[in-house]
Amino acid sequence: MPVTRLLYPLYQLGNPQLRIFRPKWFLTLVRPGTELPPDTAQFRVPMEMTKYDIKNYLENIYNVPVGAVRTRIQYGSNKKRNHLNQKVKKPDYKVAYVQLAQGQAFTFPDIFPEKESKPEEGSVEEMQNKFMEDEKQRQKPDPRRGGVTEWFGL
Amino acid sequence: MAASSSAGRVLTLCKQFQNVMRICSAVKTQQHCAVNATQYLNRIYREKSTLAALSWCSPTSSLSQYRALHTTISRRGLEEFFDLPENWGETNVKSGAPWTAKHLRTKSNEDLHKLWYVLLKERNMLLTIQQEAKRQRVQMPSPERLRKIERSMIRLETVVTERETALRLLQTGQEKGRPGAWRRNLFGHVYWYRFKEYAIPWYMNKRYKRKKFYTPKFVQPHMRLRWENSLRNRIRRANLKKQKEAKLREKFPQMKVSSL
Repeated sequence: MPVTRLLYPLYQLGNPQLRIFRPKWFLTLVRPGTELPPDTAQFRVPMEMTKYDIKNYLENIYNVPVGAVRTRIQYGSNKKRNHLNQKVKKPDYKVAYVQLAQGQAFTFPDIFPEKESKPEEGSVEEMQNKFMEDEKQRQKPDPRRGGVTEWFGL
Repeated sequence: MAASSSAGRVLTLCKQFQNVMRICSAVKTQQHCAVNATQYLNRIYREKSTLAALSWCSPTSSLSQYRALHTTISRRGLEEFFDLPENWGETNVKSGAPWTAKHLRTKSNEDLHKLWYVLLKERNMLLTIQQEAKRQRVQMPSPERLRKIERSMIRLETVVTERETALRLLQTGQEKGRPGAWRRNLFGHVYWYRFKEYAIPWYMNKRYKRKKFYTPKFVQPHMRLRWENSLRNRIRRANLKKQKEAKLREKFPQMKVSSL
């Protein structure tokens, strides 16, 4: 996004409240690393957002009742070195813990469940699978022998 | 006529139905309060009843009053940070083309602002999916969607700024949103000075008056020297390039000029 440097008018007593029309703040809902209470959701938010901003954002755009917001700033590591042995900094970000109101609970769902995928008919994968199954069938010992080894007997 | 009258009848019916519903809910809450009163002591009852009245009456009555007809999608809350559940676990999700500026210019301002919030929600959703995919070390389904959203948001922004500048040009004749002027500093450099709002007039503002927007007379020869220096550097660089070319041409007469 192109960052447009907005210059708000100077505040004089009695002026109307400043309003943001097209917010350029993007939140990321993340799976919490440590276990959180069931009514708490963890977000990654832009650095310049305040607690009140987060509350207003979620309540007005997403219609989520917000009880309390706690924030911290995560330090991005500065330990990594590149091929010129210069330090490479990972960007810092702000983490917000949003406690939901009205007894709502939130658990992060599993959004990448294992789905059984059937290969298309006539594709290479399908033929390979068929071949492998046939080979496995052929490798199996004779069930009539009852588990007796092949070299034993006439 | 017939159609309009029938529509009117339906409307009145709806209104009556709503009124009945509201009365029903109010009666219910009153009953609840009454039950509480019999169960608890007087003092507790007073606190409890006010609380209860607030928590029970307000959602039912306000909802029936203000949201008789609900046309937007149902409230999903934090679920909106994720894709639709039928898209979970898919390797690729279908998506349309990004909005073009030409298409956006046909929309009204209100529509554009509504669309901004739709795009914003979509982008938040995609960022959430991307982060989760990174964390679980799997491929994100259809990552090109992020780029599409970004592009359409940039285009929307340009269209809105276009309209703003057009309006400003009509109303004030200012081409830029923030007015400014070309000014000269102490060393004779000319730069674009952007105006700023101050709470007091400039002649009372000490900090503003400390700034120097003029060039003294004795700086003139130094400005000239600077100008000469830059000119000489430019000529030297051009000469060097020319010599290099000549040398190369002497060495490789078949060489094309474009490869230099």
